[in-house]
Amino acid sequence: MSRFTLLLINIITALAIQAQDYSGMKNLELNDLSAFRTQAGNWRIVGEVLMDPSVDIHQKPASVSESGQKKAKKGTALPEHSAPQAVLPTPGKGVLLNMNDDKIKSHLLSVMEHGDIELDLELMVPKGSNSGIYLQGRYEVQILDSWGVKSPSFSDLGGIYRNWENTPGQIYMGKAPLSNPAKAPGLWQRMHIVFQAPRFDGNGKKISNARFVSVELNGVKIHDQLEVPLPTGGPVDKTEVSSGPLMIQGDHGPVAFRNIRYRILREVKPVLTGISWKVFHGQFKTISDFSSLTPAYTGAGEELTCEVLDQEDTYASIYSGKIKIPESGTYTFGLAFTGGGRLTIDGKTVIDHQSVDHWPLDRGTLQLQKGDYNFEIYNYKDAGWMPPRLAFYAAIENGKEYSLHAYNSYPPDPNPVSSILINPGSEVKLLRAFLDFSGDRAKRLTHTIGVGEPSGIHYAYDLQSGNLACVWRGEFVDATPMWHDRGDGSFRPLGSALYTFRGQPLAVLESGEAEFPTSENYVGKGYDKDPMSGRPSFNYLYRGIPVNSKIIPGTDNKFFTHEVTVKSASTVAGLKYKLAEGSVIQSMPDGSFAIDDKRYYVKVNSGGKAEIRKIAGKEELIMSFESDQISYNIIW
Amino acid sequence: MHKTMQTRINIFIKKEFISSLMFSVLLLMFDQAAAQRKTTVEDDYYKIITIPVPEGILLEAGGVAAMPDGRMAVATRRGDVWTIENPNGVDGNPKFTLFASGLHEALGLLYHNGSLYSAQRGELTKLTDKNGDGKADSYETVYAWPISGHYHEYSYGPKLGSDGSFFVSGNVAFGDQEWWRGESRTPWRGWTFKIHPEGKLEPWAAGVRSPCGLGVVDGEFFYTDNQGDWVGTGGVWHLEKGDFVGHPGALKWTSLPESPLKLSTEQLYARVSARQIKKDGQYIKPSNVEQEENPDFLYQVKKDIPQLKLPAVWLPHGVLGISNSEIITDETKGNFGPFAGQLFVGDQGQSKIMRVVLEKVDGAYQGVAFDFRQGFQSGVLRMNWGTDGSMFVGETNRGWGSAGTTNSGLQRLSWTGKIPMEMLTVKSMSDGFEVEFTHPVDKVLAEDLSSYSGRSYIYKYHPVYGSPTVNEESLVIRGVKVSADRLKVRIVIDNLRQYYLHELNLSGIRSEDGLPLLHSNAYYTLNKIAAGEKLSPGEITGKRPTTTVPKKAAGVTKTASVTKAVSYAEVEPLLVKNTCTACHNVSKRQVGPSFSDIARRNYSVERIIQLIYNPEPKNWPEYATPMAPMPQVPKAEAMKIATWITGLSAK
Repeated sequence: MSRFTLLLINIITALAIQAQDYSGMKNLELNDLSAFRTQAGNWRIVGEVLMDPSVDIHQKPASVSESGQKKAKKGTALPEHSAPQAVLPTPGKGVLLNMNDDKIKSHLLSVMEHGDIELDLELMVPKGSNSGIYLQGRYEVQILDSWGVKSPSFSDLGGIYRNWENTPGQIYMGKAPLSNPAKAPGLWQRMHIVFQAPRFDGNGKKISNARFVSVELNGVKIHDQLEVPLPTGGPVDKTEVSSGPLMIQGDHGPVAFRNIRYRILREVKPVLTGISWKVFHGQFKTISDFSSLTPAYTGAGEELTCEVLDQEDTYASIYSGKIKIPESGTYTFGLAFTGGGRLTIDGKTVIDHQSVDHWPLDRGTLQLQKGDYNFEIYNYKDAGWMPPRLAFYAAIENGKEYSLHAYNSYPPDPNPVSSILINPGSEVKLLRAFLDFSGDRAKRLTHTIGVGEPSGIHYAYDLQSGNLACVWRGEFVDATPMWHDRGDGSFRPLGSALYTFRGQPLAVLESGEAEFPTSENYVGKGYDKDPMSGRPSFNYLYRGIPVNSKIIPGTDNKFFTHEVTVKSASTVAGLKYKLAEGSVIQSMPDGSFAIDDKRYYVKVNSGGKAEIRKIAGKEELIMSFESDQISYNIIW
Repeated sequence: MHKTMQTRINIFIKKEFISSLMFSVLLLMFDQAAAQRKTTVEDDYYKIITIPVPEGILLEAGGVAAMPDGRMAVATRRGDVWTIENPNGVDGNPKFTLFASGLHEALGLLYHNGSLYSAQRGELTKLTDKNGDGKADSYETVYAWPISGHYHEYSYGPKLGSDGSFFVSGNVAFGDQEWWRGESRTPWRGWTFKIHPEGKLEPWAAGVRSPCGLGVVDGEFFYTDNQGDWVGTGGVWHLEKGDFVGHPGALKWTSLPESPLKLSTEQLYARVSARQIKKDGQYIKPSNVEQEENPDFLYQVKKDIPQLKLPAVWLPHGVLGISNSEIITDETKGNFGPFAGQLFVGDQGQSKIMRVVLEKVDGAYQGVAFDFRQGFQSGVLRMNWGTDGSMFVGETNRGWGSAGTTNSGLQRLSWTGKIPMEMLTVKSMSDGFEVEFTHPVDKVLAEDLSSYSGRSYIYKYHPVYGSPTVNEESLVIRGVKVSADRLKVRIVIDNLRQYYLHELNLSGIRSEDGLPLLHSNAYYTLNKIAAGEKLSPGEITGKRPTTTVPKKAAGVTKTASVTKAVSYAEVEPLLVKNTCTACHNVSKRQVGPSFSDIARRNYSVERIIQLIYNPEPKNWPEYATPMAPMPQVPKAEAMKIATWITGLSAK
């Protein structure tokens, strides 16, 4: 196979190893507060919450009487009956909300205590608010409204907070997130934390630090294998332990959570014994080609390793032995190899991938009782350009994955590929590429252009449908997938990519139930670059009518303005423009619309009035053309 | 050209005294040496000069265009278009301006009516500087075609047709499970097509696989393809509307109303097997059948599939390239040497340029190919002419590896003014071939039949990746007739075979000054044997050489145990025949390590033989392209090659 395919497989393999599998995570039910310890009452369960992005929690509240109202002290919340307009809850279940004041302001602690944990949750922060999630009640991941902050510090959303010690050796200065993927107040933001607790020896002495194996905010990794040598500021206790509760800060302002899931990662390690092997020489295309032959030689030993092979290619091998399962449960086995491979447990095929020249990491699951089982691993290869490789992994559900093979049987790549990262510099940068919509290869957009603004917000425009398909802030794109070796022609946005929708936004709809097409009566005509700004202005023909699209960054990296001009638009009967689509669209107090269950906002500036339309199981925000031009903002 | 060089030398000398002294000495030595030398090298006639590119600019050339004001423009695979002022570097370095950027793998560039046109993956784009600041502000989509998003779906062009429309071609994609089998996932992948300026696509010819080089010669459209599945070896094809050149992928779209070709995939597979075999649920990659009883050849299949178009000029794989690219015609009116009107074809893998001469026999194009210039710093992808008659060569090898020392760049090839001793052309005759030379030949040697040898062979048409040469026969040369002015020689051959590639080796020929041919091999694709008068026996002369018996090659091995040392002369034909020279040179790093470097590893003869059949590319991590197994090398020949290599380490 081509070297290119080899590279692609390596990338896919690497991704597979890190793939997040949310099945098996436990929901922290938010029907009531029973998962949490007693608190002063600032924490409650609600059904939904609306946070007005234009209202800061610290600003003057709406008052009952107009005169004589003292200015509220800065930083103080008000009692509930005149709650700030910033936060408007609705009764119900499923959302955890904090509304503290200067007296009622407990932190919230979970009943459960954890060591190693994987935590996934959504949070919503109003403008100007502040909170934090403490792993084991000791290591804080900061929560803050950091919308639009260009260079985040440890005190911005996702940062690991500092502590307040003064003694040398006890000071921890915190760690800034690698970038700032924070979204606007009032939008749901997703955090995914994989945390490893400190380890102690038999005498209670710490032998390894607490570690944030990964922290992702809105899909972007902001901490990577980060050790935290000391507890951060304001822990439940300064002593480091192997188990502690989750804590959420409750004294600095409102914050809401939903969809809290976690798994407490266990250490259950299967062990291999009695390993023996048979090795065959030849060019085999399938396992049946060699499985009944007499081997060239056999052997037995302590380790599972492909180092027992006496040649680099045109071989086959069968490894057998026993695997000791320490605890009953559902086990996921992994087999990584070059060529083809198969895993059987007590004769049952768990993994089967027959090829002379693949390089996969395959997984299979099996329910097993505590005890010993026979395993067999088949491997063969006829591909001289690939080295021999064999890796065998096992993990119990919600448990750590263990390597059961020798290091040299699957050593790390000595030459990992360097990234090719593209950034705008001082001028607007244009780059056409394939773009996998929502990161899904099956939804690859093939005629897309990325536009990178020097100010740090960027977008991708689909030239086959005239649609603004994706926006993000931060760095521009990772072009490694397109420019390393042969590449696959695509780039990845470097930032929390916000995908809008696919298909044409402009169409004549024959009826109220007609859907917008994917690409119909549409002829792309390319774009003109503005000589001053370097920005592209897109041109296309819809049913022969000239259309122009301009996308201009707003202030402070907080939004894009999209101006769509259709020649003589108001004379075209039934002409509609789709501004957004999602599962649900909600009106906001400031006149904007929250799209797709508060994933982003859209606000119309001029050209007509937007309406919400329910169609085909989703909601669309559409408008007609009162004049030739529509202008709207996409805010996130 | 010569004067400019002289000026540069003068400046050089003024600036660097000590080096200038040495330089003058060297110059003197060079002149003396040349006079005494009885051979010359390509560099004596055509010099490769590297264009200095400012640090930080990456020129992975995808297109090279000449602008009417002397500037050259280069489009890159990174999506940039650079205009280069003073590309020859007269009195200073060339100046680079970023004209446009952001294109999606630009693989062609054409200057036309004030705009630069380039084919990107998904469209033909017209780039125009409307406000006169030297940078494009209009990126107009002339036509956007569908693609599936597979990396291999490259789009090449444009080249200008005689009617002012643009020729563009599109690569196939590959299967997911059957990664070796090209497939067309969207219209018109695997096709060549015309884009009319008003934005209409006219499908042209189908069945291309990797149509990297396009050319318009005398108003007719030609293209090059690369060895691959169904494509036995690379070559140059003449494409007329409705032609089918062999790769089945394109046939998926022949039922569309716009298709000028009405041949279905089923019809083709009824005649040639697709060899889609599944075993244990897995597709098996088809491989070459050794000692195949009745292999299919294009010319035979054409009898049942008349739409099939035979290649005009085959470029034997490993000998004349491994990844053929650009086609350009010498339009320099003599400023580039004696080859006016002839074609130059680039090669990305061997980083060299070949020369092709077409002729029409019985209404169809065919012709001859020669080596022309090797030694470019990286894979040759695009060529174009500067206003002074230099050939600008755009290079890139990313993704495939190549001979040479860099991964990309721009060079120019300039003629020194001296005419090399070459076969100017080879024409088909009813009884053999007529070779025309650039200088008169030495009559005695020209009439000595031992100066000539040759063989003919053919490639299979099958779904396997590439084809070995098969049905090989040595040419039986009855005699020659040297023209009165000694510029032409007719070679009379008894065993001409229509449809076969005829390789002529004229290593015994000398010019009257005693110079051998700079390139002594000619490769003629004899699709038709020209009509005309055969020479009468009385006209033919020539000392009869030692007997050459026509023998069938490919697979018949004589076991010969070799214990004595093997000389280079003995092994060289084997290295060429088995296409080792596609990637290996005796002492220089090419696509693969040099034989000297291999020798330095001190392998045993047995080990080298093992590695020929089952290479271990991981032993050479610094080489981008892995060596493919070579099971077709006969054991006795592998033994000879291995013995010779081990002999190198003794030096």
